[in-house]
Amino acid sequence: MTAPGPDETGDDPEYRDSGLARERTSLSWTRTAIAFAALGGTVLKVNLATGLIILVIAPVIWQLGRVSRGAIPGADGGPPAMSEVSARRLFVITVSIVGVALLCLVIAILGRSAPGALR
Amino acid sequence: MSWTTRLAALLPTTVERDAGGTEPDPRFTFANERTFLAWSRTALALVVAGLGIVQLLPPFPGVPEGRHLLGVPLIVLGAVLAVAAYTEWVRNQRALRRGEPMPTSVMPWILAATITGIAIIAAVVLLLSALR
Repeated sequence: MTAPGPDETGDDPEYRDSGLARERTSLSWTRTAIAFAALGGTVLKVNLATGLIILVIAPVIWQLGRVSRGAIPGADGGPPAMSEVSARRLFVITVSIVGVALLCLVIAILGRSAPGALR
Repeated sequence: MSWTTRLAALLPTTVERDAGGTEPDPRFTFANERTFLAWSRTALALVVAGLGIVQLLPPFPGVPEGRHLLGVPLIVLGAVLAVAAYTEWVRNQRALRRGEPMPTSVMPWILAATITGIAIIAAVVLLLSALR
């Protein structure tokens, strides 16, 4: 799959400017960071230390999305290709979610339940 | 291919080294990244739902392990989806770089099957709880 040629651009703003795609991706990173913060806030009610750990991850995730907010790297000796940069960032998110899931699993199995804690 | 080789193929350094092909249109890379992020948020939502069921719901009368039966599989599914999302991203990005057809995703099937299973368990737990 390659970029459309100059005669294929048409009137679709998406074809004329990939900045919209970048903006959507940037917003997606922000939503993911918010999801981490929301999970951290919930876990905070159940287990303070684990909740704080997850809350700390949220700004890290937001910061990881900075590449999506930066310039698209060029192929001629510029910054590294996007897929190379993405692999590391997305791997970090995957490891974070698996780690958080394991922590939550331990809390779910071993922790004392607190019905109505969110009230 | 052994499991260790498969796992090693997912490491960022391996992904970068074996990328092959040419850098695709940034819009496709962005779209692939957004799909990964959407699955990641789904995974997080499953984890928080599972934890909420186990920790915050009152126990089901007559079914003491009911909350764990419902919550633990959701948390495990969250972890599985996170790893699967990354695997899918790697496969899609590789296909984009090489100009190959996009691989078929099994993730919607995994999600639908597991949620259906958990819904059935939930119905059974509620029925048992109501009968006692």
